[in-house]
Amino acid sequence: MTAENTLAPRPAAASFAIAEAVAIILASLRRMRPVYLPLATAGVVLATWQLVVGLFHVPAVILPGPLEIADELWRVRPLLLSHAVPTTLDSLMAFALASLFGVGLAIAITYSPLLRDTLYPNLVVFQLIPKIALAPLFVVWLGISSQSRVTFSAFVSFFPVVISAAVGFANTEATALRLCRSLTASQWQSFVMVRFPFALPAIFSGMKIAMTMAIIGVIIGEFISAKAGLGFYILYASSRMETAGIFAALFVLCVIGVALFGVVALAEALVRRSYGRR
Amino acid sequence: MPVFAQEGYVEVAEVCKVYRNGTREAVEAVSSLSFAVPRGQFVAVLGPSGCGKSTLLMMVGGLEPVTAGRITVDGTPMTGPRTSIGVMFQDATLLPWKSALDNVLFPIRVLKRPLDAYRETAQALLERVGLDGFEHKKPHELSGGMRQRVAICRALVYDPELLLMDEPFSALDAISRDEMNELLLDLWQQYTKTALFVTHSIREAVFLADRVLVMTRRPATIVEDLAVPFPRPRAVTIGETRQFNEICGHLRECIEGNRDRERTRRPKPDLVRRELVG
Repeated sequence: MTAENTLAPRPAAASFAIAEAVAIILASLRRMRPVYLPLATAGVVLATWQLVVGLFHVPAVILPGPLEIADELWRVRPLLLSHAVPTTLDSLMAFALASLFGVGLAIAITYSPLLRDTLYPNLVVFQLIPKIALAPLFVVWLGISSQSRVTFSAFVSFFPVVISAAVGFANTEATALRLCRSLTASQWQSFVMVRFPFALPAIFSGMKIAMTMAIIGVIIGEFISAKAGLGFYILYASSRMETAGIFAALFVLCVIGVALFGVVALAEALVRRSYGRR
Repeated sequence: MPVFAQEGYVEVAEVCKVYRNGTREAVEAVSSLSFAVPRGQFVAVLGPSGCGKSTLLMMVGGLEPVTAGRITVDGTPMTGPRTSIGVMFQDATLLPWKSALDNVLFPIRVLKRPLDAYRETAQALLERVGLDGFEHKKPHELSGGMRQRVAICRALVYDPELLLMDEPFSALDAISRDEMNELLLDLWQQYTKTALFVTHSIREAVFLADRVLVMTRRPATIVEDLAVPFPRPRAVTIGETRQFNEICGHLRECIEGNRDRERTRRPKPDLVRRELVG
């Protein structure tokens, strides 16, 4: 009754305030949607998985539930971490090589019409070859060392960098380059000041693909020849029918993949910001 | 009228430009064209689109080689771009990652002059064109007119002797265009550069220039050389005077008369030559 009395004189204002509060809550929910929607989806999938495994008594060797995988992950975590180290380092190394040589070759292609005409079509064709199939060749050529895996992985992830960087350099606004010429800028100046920053988004999108390819390349290499690494661990676990172990290693791989991808995205943000400031 | 020096600061003598861009057709973009611009004069080159007036401007700026003939600026033949010449292009050509101020300072950076010494000049120019408060905005945060103002500042900041403008306001709406014309006149009054302004707007040409050259498509050469008698400073209202409109009418006749003649006769065979590429 008392509440009704205090509200009574200003019913319009009260309902307005409630409507406003509801609107604010709805708006913040909508803003958070890109966060909670995918999380909820993943949660539903995992729950369904767990439920199906329990209900139909699927043997753990065929498909363990997410909870069993989490258990296994916790149990073997020191071992998994020790295997994660070489995989991560090799992937980073391969990625660095691919980026360096990729951007370098793209620059050469951009400035030498002869190189472009001779190399570019071949690169595009080579890009289409399933290079994974060449992994055994690298064992033949370079042995079973970590360098062999890094070389193979760099070779696999190098193509997206060259091609997207070359496209980025070629798509630099022609008028901006003409502006440089009108200011008597040297080739080097117009590259550093105009062409490179214009190509940055393309270069980084190539590098993001290269990062994921580098991990794939290293895992393939480890399947074939390694004595350590997550790829090796997956094979080892599968030979012992430890399906939960396979999934646990896959989970660690996912985390590494997301983290390394995040590093590239972060680097992109930093480089772009530094260009914005200069 | 400003007092002109006797000799031409810019001299264009019997200049031809023939394009042979891969096709078998050799297109004569400019044919045997001659004129001289005294120091300090504002000359508008008026003509329909595709008449070769932009090509002419790029040749004067040293950005395109001439096929035949000779262009000298300040007594020396043009062999390439020079720092005493400033060019404004059809679009503003701002670097999207740089702020307005940094875009204005871009030529200073390219020319390796001391940045600090020019920062004030750049700031003053931006203020002059009504962009104070926008120095740190990126191009995508500016309107088309504002971007073109930044481009004017960029062309003036390193104090070139000769200003070449290639339809700089053609992408703007009518109102911003009038504003920009007034602004340009105002700036030109202060800095008194020699200016060559290419446009397809008759009124713009008459309003801005001391002298209007009319270029036509076939032949791609100058058919009229007209002095504009209005004293400076000019107010926008001169556009409503009878004399102004008579001049515009005369120029329109020059362009249309030529177009009608063009329609009634076949294209001259020596202008579009079919050649066998061996």
